[in-house]
Parts: sequence; C-alpha cells; structure tokens
Amino acid sequence: MDTKAKVKEVLSSLLKVKLEELKDEVSLQDSIGVDSTEMVESVIALEKSFGVKLSPKEITKSSTINGIADNIQSKLAK
Amino acid sequence: MEKIAITGIGVVSPSGIGKRQFWANIKSGRSFIKKITRFDASLYPSHIAGQIDDLEKYSHISERLLKKIDAFSHMALVASETALQDAGIDIKNEDPNLVGIFLGNAIGGWLYAETELRDLYLEGREGVSPYMASAWFPAAPQGQVSIYYGIKGFSKTVVSDRASSSMALGYARKVLDKNKLNMIIAGGMEAPVTPYALLCCNTYGALSKNNDDPQSAYRPFDKKRSGFVIGEGAGIVVMESIQRARKRGANILGYISGYGTSCDGVDRINCASDGKELARAINMALTDARVKPQDIGYISLDGLAVELWDDSEIRALKLVFGDALKDIPLSCPKSMFGNLLGASGALDMITALLTMENNLVPPTLNLDTPALNGLNYVRGQAKEYKVNKSLIISRGRGGINSVLVVEKGEK
Repeated sequence: MDTKAKVKEVLSSLLKVKLEELKDEVSLQDSIGVDSTEMVESVIALEKSFGVKLSPKEITKSSTINGIADNIQSKLAK
Repeated sequence: MEKIAITGIGVVSPSGIGKRQFWANIKSGRSFIKKITRFDASLYPSHIAGQIDDLEKYSHISERLLKKIDAFSHMALVASETALQDAGIDIKNEDPNLVGIFLGNAIGGWLYAETELRDLYLEGREGVSPYMASAWFPAAPQGQVSIYYGIKGFSKTVVSDRASSSMALGYARKVLDKNKLNMIIAGGMEAPVTPYALLCCNTYGALSKNNDDPQSAYRPFDKKRSGFVIGEGAGIVVMESIQRARKRGANILGYISGYGTSCDGVDRINCASDGKELARAINMALTDARVKPQDIGYISLDGLAVELWDDSEIRALKLVFGDALKDIPLSCPKSMFGNLLGASGALDMITALLTMENNLVPPTLNLDTPALNGLNYVRGQAKEYKVNKSLIISRGRGGINSVLVVEKGEK
C-alpha cells in the first residue's frame, strides 16, 4: 500500500470518517473540520503506523492528505 | 416570579426513549429494573439497575463524535434533540446568544474516565485518549449540547447530588423570568451503570441488595424496603416564557410555577430526621407558585427506600399539608426504572407533566405494606385523578432539598 493510501486508512479509521471525505488537496480542517485534539490524535496514530516522529505543527502546516503523505515519505527516505 | 412554559419533552430512560414510549410503560406500571449486563457486576453487593440497552437505535450522533464523549453526554444529546423536536423548534432560527442550557448531574462520565484511567496505568500517558479531559467532567454534556447546536447564551451545570436536575430546572426558571434568555434547554443526565460508579454507589450503603428479585427490589415507603436501585438516563425539556410560547403557537405542555430549596445541615451523608428544612423548601415552592397546599393534586415523592429518608419526607409533608395530606395522591414512579441520581428530578417532573396531561397518576411499585399508614399512596397500578398542580420533591446526600411546583398545560 502506498503512503497516501495508508495515511487515508489510518485517519479514516481513527476519526470515523469515510475514505472519500479525505481529499488529497484539501486541508483536514476544510474537508472534515478536524479540531485541535483530533490533530494531536492523528499525529500519534500516524507516528505509530509509520514509525516516524511527527509534530502537530508540521502536520497542521501540511494538513492535506498529499502534504502529510509527502512529509512522512521524506522522513522514511532519510 | 412568573410561570415559565414547558413546550418540549425529551426522555431517555430505562422505561423508554421518547415521551410516548416512556409514558406507555409508566402508566402500565412495568418494572425495568434488572441484573446489570453491561459488565460483570456479580461480585458487587448490589448489581441491579435500570439500564438502557438500545440508545444507538434512537441516536443521531455520529461515530466520530461518540468516541469523544461519555454515555451521559450521548444521553443528553439524544434527549435534547427529542425535546427540541417535540417543541417544534429549529435552533437555526434562534438567536444563539439568547438560548441557554441548564443541566444537572451528580457523578460525571465515569464509563469514559475509568477506561482511560485503566489505560493510563497500563500503557502510560500516551495510552490515554486526548478527549478524556473534556469527556468525563459533569459539565461535559452542557458543552456538547452547546457545540452541537451552536448555543452561546448563559448556561450552567448544577452538581448537587440527586437534587441536581431539579435545581437546574428551578435556576433556569429564574433566569427566564429575568428575560435574560429567549429559551432554555434544561434537565439532567446520569450514567452510573459503570464498574467504578456502581462501586461508589455501593459504598454509599443505601442500595438494595435484593439481586435475586430485581423487579421487587426498589420498594420506597414499604415496610420491607431495603434501599434504592440506580438507573441511567436523561430528562430534558424546552423552557420559554408564556408570551413567547403563545406567540409562536407552541403546545404548552405545562408550567414551572414554583421552586424552593434548603439544606438540612446536620450530616455529610444523611438528611435530618425532623423534615423541617424539607418542609421549609416545600413552603418556599408553594409561596413562589402562589398556590395553597390544598391546590396540590399530586405529590411526586423522592422515595429513597431508606427509613430515615422516607420517614422524614413524609414528616415534612405532614408539617406542610397537615391532615389534608391523606387525600392527596402520592407516588414514586422511579421505583419502575431506578433512581437516576442527578437526573431523577427532571424525570420526576416530566412524569408529573404527563400525569396531569393524562389525568392518571402512575403507581409506586412494590409498596405492598406502607411503613406509615393513613396516606393516599398510588400503588400497584395507575389511578385516575384530575390533577392541575403537582409538587415534586428531590433530595440529595447531606440533606439537600429541592422542590418544584408544576402546573398543567393548555392542551
């Protein structure tokens, strides 16, 4: 499974939203109205799933699915 | 102080969800007390309760929100939605600054809290849900209802043991009387059927241990009483001024016309045995409502099924009503579904409204041999009475007294 698909799956399962609600190019705030606690929760879940260290700040900055996946991908490549 | 109209009722209870189902079961005198099945409670001295098993079936709340809130908030959200629908109110058409929320709760959201505390000790701090902090505390349902509907007016959660929701209703009436708000969503919710909450209730020492016969365990005012049985649920109403209710053509289901409260101040757990402070609260409520004792057609009893509490309650009523008490129908319908602690007063008030609407006083179950004779208990089955004004008594640990007078609506 590619990084983007896995990010979507983790977030969909965690936040109890449908996969199609998570848009590649729209921020999580704008697509599903994610709140700050959900953002923290998402960071923890993504860290666990991918084995990388993320910060809420980074994820908030790049909070589209594509942005999050790219961020994780670049950390995995290091 | 003016009367305040009640225009919508929302019920989530072991006896039914929604006022029709609730009333159908209440008037038929069916018990909904049973052995707890949510978790293995068999080692608790008291392991029976009024438990709600089908809330999801009636719920409009998303899974996404459900994982952030405790069951007591869920119950409050379902009861609020039902009450608003019953009142014919679309909150989007209201000025959010002029809508308030007044709720009562005694113990908080323990199902959520104890699960997360377990995880804290097993997995460390990262094992705890970030929603823990906002899910468990007693004012959480007020917050969730306000977020759900975008309500922004003056709101309050009252924590006053079993008298909490009665006090919330009395407080809400005062606020509406001052014209500070257009309408208030008021009542209470409680979810004590959880391992830790049940343990605390057991430690209190006033629960019935008659686990072998759950339906006959809760027997207020009976010679063979052995304590009360807990229940879970929510009772929420829509309150607004009479002028506003009439102007919008609302169905006025009843009025809150009087409120009185006092404290016994004698013990950290028990009430006073003389009933004097409860009598003072009753008199306050009657004076506030501008009604005489003889105008009261039904008295809803607190009925803890503990000798001290039951006897002092009757003593207080005798101090206020004198000989006339023997003619007034008395009942404790919560014997059918359990004592909803902080939500009990709201459920009792809703039951009283339905009693007046249907001219039918629901029964006290298991009151086979009254401990005190010469009183007009309605027991076993419902009895027809034309009731225009009701008195509702709520009491909490340490001798908290809260009394409401409610009047029949215009239907």
